[in-house]
Amino acid sequence: MSNATLVSAIVLYAVAMLAYACDFAFGRRSSAAAARSKPERVATVALVGAAAGPDLSGHAFPADPADPSELADLDLDAVGGPSGSAGSAAAGSGSGQGAGVAAGALQGRARSRWPEGVWVRAAFALTCAGLALQLFAIATRGIAEHRVPWGNMYEFIAAITCAAVIVLVLASVRFRAYFTGLFVLLPVVLALAVDVVVIYTPVGALVPALQSYWIAIHVTGMIIAIGMYVFGAVVTVLYLLVARHERRVAAGEIPAAGGVLAQLPGSTLLDRLSYRTILFAFPAWTFAVIAGAIWADHAWGRYWGWDPKETWSFITWLVYAAYLHARATAGWRGRRAAYIQLFGFACLMFNLVGVNLWITGLHSYAGL
Amino acid sequence: MTLRLAGRQGRADAPAPSADQAGQADPDGPADPGQAGRVSRAGHGGQGVKGGVPFGLGGWLRWGWRQLTSMRTALVLLFLLALASIPGSVLPQEGIDPAAVSQYYAAHPALAPLLARLSGFDVFGAPWFAAIYLLLFTSLAGCVLPRAYRMARSARQPPPKAPRHIGRLPQATSFAAPAAPDQALGSAAGFLTKRRFRVRTGEGWVSAEKGYLHEVGNLLFHVALLGLLASVALGGLFGYKANKLLVEHQTFANTPAGLDVFRPGRLVTATDLQPFSITLRSFSARYVETGPQRGQPLEYNARLSYSASYGGRLRSYDLQVNHPLNVDGVQVFLIGHGYAPEFKVTDGTGRVVFDQPVPFIPLEQSGLTSAGVIKVPGASPRELGFAGVFLPTEVVTPAGTLASVFPAAWIPRVSLVSYAGNLGMNGGQPQSVYSLDTRHMHQLDVAPRPLAPGQSIVLPHGLGTLTFTGYVQWASLAITYDPGQMPALISALTALAGLILSFLVRRRRLFVRAVAGDAGGAVVEFGGLTRSDAAGGFEAEFAELAGEIMQTVGGFPAGAGQAAAGQVGDGGHAGGAASADDEVVLAEQEAASDDDQVALAGQRESE
Repeated sequence: MSNATLVSAIVLYAVAMLAYACDFAFGRRSSAAAARSKPERVATVALVGAAAGPDLSGHAFPADPADPSELADLDLDAVGGPSGSAGSAAAGSGSGQGAGVAAGALQGRARSRWPEGVWVRAAFALTCAGLALQLFAIATRGIAEHRVPWGNMYEFIAAITCAAVIVLVLASVRFRAYFTGLFVLLPVVLALAVDVVVIYTPVGALVPALQSYWIAIHVTGMIIAIGMYVFGAVVTVLYLLVARHERRVAAGEIPAAGGVLAQLPGSTLLDRLSYRTILFAFPAWTFAVIAGAIWADHAWGRYWGWDPKETWSFITWLVYAAYLHARATAGWRGRRAAYIQLFGFACLMFNLVGVNLWITGLHSYAGL
Repeated sequence: MTLRLAGRQGRADAPAPSADQAGQADPDGPADPGQAGRVSRAGHGGQGVKGGVPFGLGGWLRWGWRQLTSMRTALVLLFLLALASIPGSVLPQEGIDPAAVSQYYAAHPALAPLLARLSGFDVFGAPWFAAIYLLLFTSLAGCVLPRAYRMARSARQPPPKAPRHIGRLPQATSFAAPAAPDQALGSAAGFLTKRRFRVRTGEGWVSAEKGYLHEVGNLLFHVALLGLLASVALGGLFGYKANKLLVEHQTFANTPAGLDVFRPGRLVTATDLQPFSITLRSFSARYVETGPQRGQPLEYNARLSYSASYGGRLRSYDLQVNHPLNVDGVQVFLIGHGYAPEFKVTDGTGRVVFDQPVPFIPLEQSGLTSAGVIKVPGASPRELGFAGVFLPTEVVTPAGTLASVFPAAWIPRVSLVSYAGNLGMNGGQPQSVYSLDTRHMHQLDVAPRPLAPGQSIVLPHGLGTLTFTGYVQWASLAITYDPGQMPALISALTALAGLILSFLVRRRRLFVRAVAGDAGGAVVEFGGLTRSDAAGGFEAEFAELAGEIMQTVGGFPAGAGQAAAGQVGDGGHAGGAASADDEVVLAEQEAASDDDQVALAGQRESE
């Protein structure tokens, strides 16, 4: 039953992806793209000309209430400060909330968290339904095994894809980051498909080394952190693509409107979203590594033994720490920091796949 | 570009894992390196090759130290450390799996010695690895400790003066109030003080600051890393690790002679070892018996008796994998297990010269096929040696070979090859108990068949008899003593707490100005900026505070247009002259450094 539910979840995610894609194709934002590109270019020029100007923490673009700016689609101050409200005044030509909102700017949010547009609503609903099914699948597997359901690679990948979708749903609701749906679900669906078809292992008991309450602490922490890292990596890829798109638009190579990239929020906001994700994920990863060390000391007699998985967790931690340092270093923000983050994510993926399959150590619980 | 350098006589970069900037003016890299270069050159104390002023030794040392403690160097060193760890995970390491290292030597005879010269098999103890992390920690200490000192010294300093043009701040709004300017300022100051801001008032302005814990968290994190390094060093100096393979019904005492492997820390001697002794009363293992996971282990249980000191009280303990024993500050862990078949050897003269269990080492985990050797040096007329495998559940495969299909001893069999000759044990060279040197021995012609318990091999030429009498199990224990363990844990948790603190708290400043407006009231300007809005949300907080201040002062919005322009606050940024103090306030915000004290020191006193 758990397997059937998981497969159904995959199907739902795939349909949700289709709905997100349709939203890009047919949604109201296609009209917003053209209007948005003009003030964006003006702002870019203004900033280049005034390179001495200070960084405005997201206020890089003047929010003309009549303009459907990208702030409409991404609200990083979820409670809705002045920027949010100004953006909400232009919440989309389809929603007709009007400019009266700007006047009430200081009186709190006047805009709904929920998405506008039929396609996005449908896609989000499908995503949530798929998530519910996946949670049900994991829970039933845990009940069938009488234990916490992450003891081998099949279960672990199912869990981290679930965590990634949870992060997607939370970010969509809190930051109105619905546009990330399609791009996050893509690797989730692929990973789950590979998981179910190739990596599947039947229900079984835990090996003695894993029989401890620490599994609920260390492995759960890892799953949460990896879910956030996945989301951060997807947003960073989007940031790089949108930044390149903006450069090409500014250089006049391609028209501003049209295409999926034109409908995404500006690169600055994508960068900020990715950064905030890593700010949550990095302490979670640190905690999971520390919990792993405590458990290792409890089980194997030493809290750090340079086991391959421990080493690669350390490497991943170092690279993400380098990313955070890069964000604070002149000359390394923006694209270079994005590359560092993606390199960190690559280390993470090697830690998950390569170390489990190709390098043997104390951590080889893949069950393959 | 002068404003960027104003007040930046201090460090060019500084470590701040929670960066102050949440967004950038330009996402591309190319624009920045030029500015960065300019900034770092400014950080050289004002001197430089550019101006043609010679450095001198002191200048070069200072330059070197600046470079070492800069953020860029920290970045490079972090990457280097990550890169350096990779070979430690790919190549087999001596400290973890010496058998794998030997296998690597056998598989790569030309490459292995070269790698050994480069410490490829001991990466984490290699001098070059130590150089990287020591440099990184020096860089860290050189940056963090002065900052901590500065922060402690200036922890009580008041916030800076309010800038003249509050409308230029990233968050700003203005409104009209019916009260007089002084009254409005007073109630604003009172409100901010109640909100636990540090407030400073002046002629027609109020400035407030909050969020000092951000820097505290930042520094706490980095200092805790130093503490972690110290704890690891403590363990390495005064701790030790040891291994012991203990057969059922046998006892061992915690001495260097009694332990199989003893790896002491640098300052540990034999007399420092805690004098406990352990007996393995019995060992049992349970496996999955049916289903697709057949053979997977379910439970290991080593029942021990131990005493903490010579002649001390005997206690029992069930040692399991996640259930270690703690005796006298030392921890004992169950690491592995296997079988030790028992043999009785009668030599050619009829004496029983060997009658004990011999630990066999597992070759694979699914069936626990184990290999071992038996050496009988006391046999006459010839010394005897046997080598072979123990199969807990023996079957004959279709190919004709022997295999074990289940790890429990359901069908225990032993299959041995017999040798007679000179074992080479009198030569003075140490031999492994698990390998047989057959160079000076000849193999005996015995009909090959696996032995069941109770069966014997009769050796030809009257050389003797070997009887497989039965089997027991053995457990391998890891014994560790690490005085740095608890300090390491405390450091790690402190680092985590500091990290979370610095991510959650943002350092922000609010400024209020009030001038007399028409009709006897006041026009109040309220603005704010944040220096380290790592988690975002300052706009929301500002809007909330603005609303509440407005209510406190009794004001009302000065008009939608003004409010909108004020909210966005970008009106004046694209060029235009500004007064010096505004620029410094704004330059602080865009600076890469959290170096508040330097910024405060560099602030102009003009009003």
